[in-house]
Amino acid sequence: MATLGQLVLSGIFIGGIYALMSMGLTLIFGVLRVVNFAHGEFLMLAMYGAWAMTRLLGLNPYLAAIAIGPAMFLFGAIVHQLIVRRALDKPHLVVVFATMGLSIFMQNVALMVMTADLWDVPPIFSRSVEVGPFYFKAELLVGFAVTIACTAILQWLIRTTYLGKAIRATVQDGEAAMLMGIPVPRIFLLTFAGGSALVGLAACIMMPLFSVFPTVGLNFVLIAFVIVVLGGMGSIEGALLGGICIGVVQSLSSYYVAPAYGQMFYFILFLLVMVFRPNGLLGQKGSATIGIND
Amino acid sequence: MSLAPADRSRGTQPPLLLPRRGARLSIFEIVLLLICVVLALVGIPQNLQDIAVLAFLWAGLALAWNIAGGYAGLISFGHAAFFGVGAYTSTILFVGFGITPWLGIWCSGLLSAALGTVLALICARLRGPFFILSTLAAAEVVRIAALNWATLTGGPEGLSIPPVAGLANMVFASKGTYVALMLAFLVAVYAITKWLEGSRYGYYLNSVRDDADAASAAGVNPLLVRTVAMALSAGLTGIGGSLFAQYFLYLDPTFIISPEVSFQFALLAAVGGLGTAVGPVLGSFLITPMSELLRSYLGNQAAGLHLVIYSALLIIVMLYFPGGIAGALARLSRRGGGS
Repeated sequence: MATLGQLVLSGIFIGGIYALMSMGLTLIFGVLRVVNFAHGEFLMLAMYGAWAMTRLLGLNPYLAAIAIGPAMFLFGAIVHQLIVRRALDKPHLVVVFATMGLSIFMQNVALMVMTADLWDVPPIFSRSVEVGPFYFKAELLVGFAVTIACTAILQWLIRTTYLGKAIRATVQDGEAAMLMGIPVPRIFLLTFAGGSALVGLAACIMMPLFSVFPTVGLNFVLIAFVIVVLGGMGSIEGALLGGICIGVVQSLSSYYVAPAYGQMFYFILFLLVMVFRPNGLLGQKGSATIGIND
Repeated sequence: MSLAPADRSRGTQPPLLLPRRGARLSIFEIVLLLICVVLALVGIPQNLQDIAVLAFLWAGLALAWNIAGGYAGLISFGHAAFFGVGAYTSTILFVGFGITPWLGIWCSGLLSAALGTVLALICARLRGPFFILSTLAAAEVVRIAALNWATLTGGPEGLSIPPVAGLANMVFASKGTYVALMLAFLVAVYAITKWLEGSRYGYYLNSVRDDADAASAAGVNPLLVRTVAMALSAGLTGIGGSLFAQYFLYLDPTFIISPEVSFQFALLAAVGGLGTAVGPVLGSFLITPMSELLRSYLGNQAAGLHLVIYSALLIIVMLYFPGGIAGALARLSRRGGGS
């Protein structure tokens, strides 16, 4: 029983971190209706940034977030202006292939610059946290807390601020929003850049827990896609729920079945959701089958 | 097989509005084909044979992908699953049971087509990014299964085909024979694509791609049309996978069922021109030699440089020539012919 509890709780916490990494993706999808296939490489870039600041400047990775977040915001803005913006009015596969190209580009530049070696940072906390019969890595708990905080702040931002209202108006009807004087292109730019900044934050939270290497993004982006679709594309609280589901499935299946099959389970879960609930657990009705991005 | 329930109403009369397009080969295609055949017959210099084999094979595979991705609009990033299943099927039949690959490739094609049918039945209702992500996930399931089902697939160590040359083994000492083999595959897939383009079924594909609701209203069953396209595309990809195995004589599961392979099919087709017969061929003829030459000249000092150039090219082509090379050529020739 204690093992089961430990596994479920660890799964929830690691799932929270996966959710944080997926929030930028779901935000960008929800507003721009664009799947950024280079999302994993954004994460990889930010992780290298966090690694460099920790190893070369001797900063704490959490402190590095203060620099990495804005840097990724800027990077996202540049990518949006150079690539995504130009692809928005074209058939959706243009943006798919363009971001896919960007993903391969970034992976291989990283391979050339950083080689294929794995890099990591030393753990931040020297001991695990003990709660009753359970033990947790303190970094996991910090990550989970940041995820909850981010979910709350994003919800507040989208529900109450002027920017959030403009974003929601853009999502509901871009043309009408434009007629009401909302600068839709600037909303797109801000959302894409903001989503990228969120990935930067996630990278700083993940750096003490995972190693970074050029194809690290590929591993995580598949998890992020599963989470985003599971939670319903564009839904922030859905991403949190989806992340926790994936975390628990991964944690249980790698203990009870076999670690190698852990990944397979969440892909199967993903396919099942696609077959039986294509809108995700909390997503917009019909988004998967009416082809909102066609 | 009836794809459209409305067929019975016009049993004798061909539809009036459909021009017979694409049934004939253009001069450009004939010249390209002649060049390839002559090169394969006369013999390609030793050091370029590798490149020719790969360019022909990848062109055939990109064309196979294009049947689903280009003509039917089923952008699949999971074709590596079919490629891998094809490669494993013929190899296991040959190494484990002594069945000649000449028979094995057909089994590969059938098994991959069956897998494609299953995938299409699961995913073909989904649109846009949802379809893409489902195919990606399905291929990952196949990859993880192949890696862990060690008794069948050899697990992470992979499988080797004994390098005993012989016609019955489909293993050849001279690379020139492989050039001819791959060219035959390319020509076969090309012929199927051309037939598809001119056929009634080709129009169903395009109509379902462009507007599934309208196609459905006109009596075309989108799910059936998509499933058949996916099965055909998957089957041809499976055969290509077997040929790949016969050439390299070694199956590395971390490569052959990787997302990179799926992307490769899609990228070659997209750079060349989606939904055209000549596009994927041009894409492969341009990119495969480029990446192979870069790889061999730069070697390990600049691992990944060929992919950097290749992906930058893809981004530029996608943003400025969404029709790919074939689209750009068509625009050029129209402009030239019109004036």
